[in-house]
Amino acid sequence: MRLYVILRYSGLVMLFAALFMAVSAVVSFLNGMDSSFYPLVLSSLITALMGAFPMLFVPRIEQISNKEGFCIVVGSWIMACVVGMFPYLMWGGEFSLVNAWFESVSGFTTTGATILHNVEALPKGLMFWRSCTAWLGGVGVVMFALVVLPSLGKTKMTLSNVELSSLAKDNYRYRTQQIVRILMVVYMGLTIITTLLLKVAGMGWFDALNHAMSACATCGFGTKNLSIAFYDNPYIELVLIGAMILAGIHFGLIYATIVGKPKNIFRSEVTRTYFAVIAVGSLLVAISLYFGHVYPDLLSSLRHASFQFVSLLTTTGYATADTNTWTTLAILLLIFASVVCGCAGSTSGGLKIDRMLLFAKMFKARMRRQQHPNAVIRLKVDGVIQEEELLTTVVTFMVTYLALLFVGAVVNALFGLDMMTAVSSAIACLGNVGPGFGEVGSMANYAELPVVLKLQDAFLMLMGRLEIFGFIQLFFLKWWR
Amino acid sequence: MKGIRKRVTIGFLSIVTLLFFSGMVSLFELGHLSTDAEVILEHSHRNMELAKDMLTALHEQSRAVANVAVLEDMRSDSLCRDRLVALESSLAAAYDLSKSSAHLDSLTVTVTELRRLTNEMLVAQTDTLPSSFGRVWYDEVYMPVSVKVAEQINDFMSATHEGLTPRAEQLNHNAYRAVMPVLISLVVMIAIVLMLYYFILIYCVNPVLSLRKSLADWLAFRLPFAPKSVCRDELLDLKEDIETLINQNKQTKA
Repeated sequence: MRLYVILRYSGLVMLFAALFMAVSAVVSFLNGMDSSFYPLVLSSLITALMGAFPMLFVPRIEQISNKEGFCIVVGSWIMACVVGMFPYLMWGGEFSLVNAWFESVSGFTTTGATILHNVEALPKGLMFWRSCTAWLGGVGVVMFALVVLPSLGKTKMTLSNVELSSLAKDNYRYRTQQIVRILMVVYMGLTIITTLLLKVAGMGWFDALNHAMSACATCGFGTKNLSIAFYDNPYIELVLIGAMILAGIHFGLIYATIVGKPKNIFRSEVTRTYFAVIAVGSLLVAISLYFGHVYPDLLSSLRHASFQFVSLLTTTGYATADTNTWTTLAILLLIFASVVCGCAGSTSGGLKIDRMLLFAKMFKARMRRQQHPNAVIRLKVDGVIQEEELLTTVVTFMVTYLALLFVGAVVNALFGLDMMTAVSSAIACLGNVGPGFGEVGSMANYAELPVVLKLQDAFLMLMGRLEIFGFIQLFFLKWWR
Repeated sequence: MKGIRKRVTIGFLSIVTLLFFSGMVSLFELGHLSTDAEVILEHSHRNMELAKDMLTALHEQSRAVANVAVLEDMRSDSLCRDRLVALESSLAAAYDLSKSSAHLDSLTVTVTELRRLTNEMLVAQTDTLPSSFGRVWYDEVYMPVSVKVAEQINDFMSATHEGLTPRAEQLNHNAYRAVMPVLISLVVMIAIVLMLYYFILIYCVNPVLSLRKSLADWLAFRLPFAPKSVCRDELLDLKEDIETLINQNKQTKA
C-alpha cells in the first residue's frame, strides 16, 4: 500500500474543506467581520496548506488499488472531521477539544447532534461553516472530491466502491462518472430549490440557506435553539418535509424521475415502501397524539406527527415539538423510524428501507419454505432476483448493527444514563439521526454527557456513516489482499 | 528554480508561512488582550479614585454641615458649598466614565436630595440659624441622607469590583483565542514536517540509494542497471544520464 497516494487524495478533500472555510469567512466578513472571521481564515489557510502539501511531491496516480481506495475514503472522512474542528477550536466558546470533535463529526456524518446549549450565540460565519460540514458530509466528502479528480475511470470506480453502499450501487446501473454527476445535479438542485421555497415560506436568506443545506444533507443543524419550532410556520414545515423526504430517496431514482426514465420513484418497490412507511407511521403517531390529548385537534396532531416522523425517518433530526412529552406509542414509533431510516443511495443513515424490505421478503420466503420444503423460492426486488450473497450481507449487516446498538447503549448505561437516553442516543448516533429521547431529546443536546460518551457517540456516528464494515475494515488492513 | 530544489523550498516555505500566520494571529489577539487588560485596569482604578474622592468630599461636607447646624459656626458655609460641588463633580466624572449605571443613577438622586437639604439650611441661615435647623435636624433629617449617600458610594465601589469578573472571563476567552491558533499550527506543522521527511525519503533519499546500489551492482557484477525506486526531476535526469553512460560504455567495448 502506497501511503503517499493516500496522502495525496485525502489532501484533495482537505482542499475542499479549506474552500468552504474560506466561503464561511466571506459570510463572516459580510456580517460585519464577526468573531469567527480570523478563526475561519486561519483554519482555511492551515487546511489548504495541509491538503496541498502532498500534491507538491506526489504526482497524479492513474491506478489505485482497492485497499488504497478504501484508505483514501476512510482517511478522508477522518481528516475532514479533524480539520473541520479547527474553526470551532480557534473560536472557543463552548467548544472544548472533545466538543469541537463531536460537532465536527456530527456535521460531516450528517448526524446533526450538537453539544451547543446556545446555537444562536454562534457568529454567522461559524454557523455557516457548521452547515457547510453537513452539506459536504451529505454528498460524501469523497464523492464530492471525485468530481474534480483528474484521473481515469478506474480511479473513480475504486473510490466509489467503498463510498456507496452495495445496495445503492446495484440500483444505480450507471457508470461511476455518471453517478457523481447525478449526485451533484440532484443535490445542488435540491438545495437551491429548498432555499428558495424556504425564503418564500417566510425565512430570512441566511436561515433559508442554512436550513436547506442541512435538510438536503439530512443533517438537522439549525440556526435556532428551538430548531424549526422557533418559526411555528406550517409552510416552512411543509417545505422541509418535502426536502427531507426527497433527500431520503435514492438520488439516482430522483434523477431518473426528472429525466423521465421508466424506472422512477413511483415504480420502485423500495420507494413505494418508503412512502408507505411515512404515511402509515405519521398517521399512527398522529392518532396516538390526538387520543393521548397531546394536541387539541387532529390537524395539529398530524402536522407535528408527520414532521417529526419524517425528520427521524430521514435521519434529519429537525424538531417542531418536544417529543419527550409525547405518548409512549408515539415515542416507540419514532424510535422505529430512527432505526429504519431512508433509502440506500440517499444521504440518510441507519439500516435503510432497502434492507428492511429484503428482510421482510426473506422472512416471507422462510415461512413459505417451511410450508413447501421443495419449493424453489427466489427473492426479487423491482423484478430483479437478489443473489444469496447479498441476502447474507443484509442479514450480517442488520445483526452487526443491532449488536453495536446494544453495546453502545450498555456503555451509555455504564456511565449512569437512564434507559431511554442510553438506548436512544446509541440509536441516534449510529443511525446518524441526531436527537434521541430523554436527556438527548429533540429540544435538548449532548452537552451534558460525559466526555467518554461524547467520544463514543462520535465513533458511532463515523461507524454509521461508513456503513459499519467500511470502518471496521480499517483495523484489518493487514489481512486485505 | 525547479525540480527537487523547488519542492524542498516550497515545503520549508509552507512551514514558515504557517508559523508566520499563526504568529500574526496570536500577536493580534495578544495585542487585543493587552489593550483590553489595560483599559479594564485603568477604568477600575479611575472608578475607585472617584469613589474615594466622593467619600472624602461627603465626609468633609457632613463635618461642615455639622459645624453650621450643631455648633452654629457660620464660617463653615463656604466649605459646605465647596465640598458639595466637589462631590457632584466626582459623580459627574464617574458618570462620564461608566456611561450608565443603576448605582450612579440612584446616587445622583440621593446627592440631589443632599444638596436640597444643604441649600435649605444655607438659605435659612442669616446671622443665626433658625431653630428648625439644629442638632435634631442634623441627626434626623440630614444624617440619614448623608449615610445613604455613603452607602451608595460603597455600592458603586463594590459594583466596580464585581464588574471585573465578566471582563476577566472575557480576557480569559481572548487569551484562549490567542493561544489556540499557535497550538493548532504547531500540531499541523509537526504533521507537515513528518510528511516532508517522508516525501524527501521517498522521492530523494531512496532513489539516490537505489541508483547507487544499482550502479554498484553494474560496476561489480555487470548486473543490468535498474534502480527499484521511482525517480523524478533531477534524479530522473541522473538515472537517464547513467543509462546513457552505461550504453556508451557497452558500445565502446563492443
